[in-house]
Amino acid sequence: MKTDDLIQSLARDVPAVPRHALGGRIAFGIAGGGVITSALLMAALGIRPDLWIAMHGFAFWMKWTYTASLAIVAIVATMRLARPDALPSRWLWLLAIPVLLLAGIGIGELADTPSRDWLAMWLGQSWKICPWLVLTLAMPIFVGLLWSFRRLAPTRLRAAGAAAGLAAGAIAATIYCLHCPEVSAIFVLTWYSLGIALAAGVGALVGPRILRW
Amino acid sequence: MQEREEQLRAWMTDGLAGDAGAHAALLRALVPLLQSFYRRRMRGAEHDVEDLVQETLIAVHTRRASYDRDRPFVAWLYAIARYRMIDHFRRQRITVPVEDLADILVAEGFEDACAARMDVARLLSGLSSKQARAIRDTHIDGLSVAEAAQAARIGESDVKISVHRGMKLLAARIRGERP
Repeated sequence: MKTDDLIQSLARDVPAVPRHALGGRIAFGIAGGGVITSALLMAALGIRPDLWIAMHGFAFWMKWTYTASLAIVAIVATMRLARPDALPSRWLWLLAIPVLLLAGIGIGELADTPSRDWLAMWLGQSWKICPWLVLTLAMPIFVGLLWSFRRLAPTRLRAAGAAAGLAAGAIAATIYCLHCPEVSAIFVLTWYSLGIALAAGVGALVGPRILRW
Repeated sequence: MQEREEQLRAWMTDGLAGDAGAHAALLRALVPLLQSFYRRRMRGAEHDVEDLVQETLIAVHTRRASYDRDRPFVAWLYAIARYRMIDHFRRQRITVPVEDLADILVAEGFEDACAARMDVARLLSGLSSKQARAIRDTHIDGLSVAEAAQAARIGESDVKISVHRGMKLLAARIRGERP
């Protein structure tokens, strides 16, 4: 095809692009995946029956604050990496803040608990499945973000994949909080974080292949 | 040169607002720009150059939502062009070292890119006086390295290093990494 003809055919279809189109597209991908993840959670796991009571307690909000703040940082990183001239993300150390805060709470809890109960507190009731559930629930959101990327232009594909996986994992963990009855900070710090990190790892692994354009 | 970034950016912004004429004008203006960009980097593969130009135009068209209206247009454009070139080499299964975006921006004429953000004088004012002078002498006043070295009473290699380091810094600033 001649370049002039190509330009003519491209110029036939020029829809307006709103100023915040990139953010909107990523939000749409996350929302689409989030609906499926929520449906999965309700159908397969169910919402914890004591949710209303739990929402009056500290543990629930500790978990939500932790996963939601990771999600926010990850979403911002994803939005940046969706642009071709993405700048190096020097502010990713912000991720350490929620981790350190939660670790601080965890140390406080350990200090208040007799050491013979530490193992039970750390493993909770669900340590074997928690990371895998978070990883599974992250997948619809990750796929939603892959859809978002189709009209965007990531050029650092591994980083973009990792950021999308991290965002998907952290959002999935936030939704998973509606089911999970665990209350200890070291449980969340270990097993939630492991699930979220697995999702980020999957993203980094498949990013260079799937995000190519 | 300063007009080029401004003109391209104006067409891009109008195109994003739905103006098909501006969008077509932009794509047409990009053709010679991209041709020289790829020709310089893919010596002797004229067929590949045309393919890459077309692929880049398509990417500019379909992925225009990834352009941030507050950032320089050419940095965005060359980032896409660079990615298309890397992908091209990947498909051919050959390994070719490709310059960083910062080096590309400098190589494609830093006046071009920086015009979007600030004028040259203001840009240079942030560098050390030696770096600013070396860049002004060699890139704006058109002195040779030897002449610039003599005028500033420093060594030729000193001039070269000052230009190189200063340009790196400028490129970082053009991309908005530094204030």
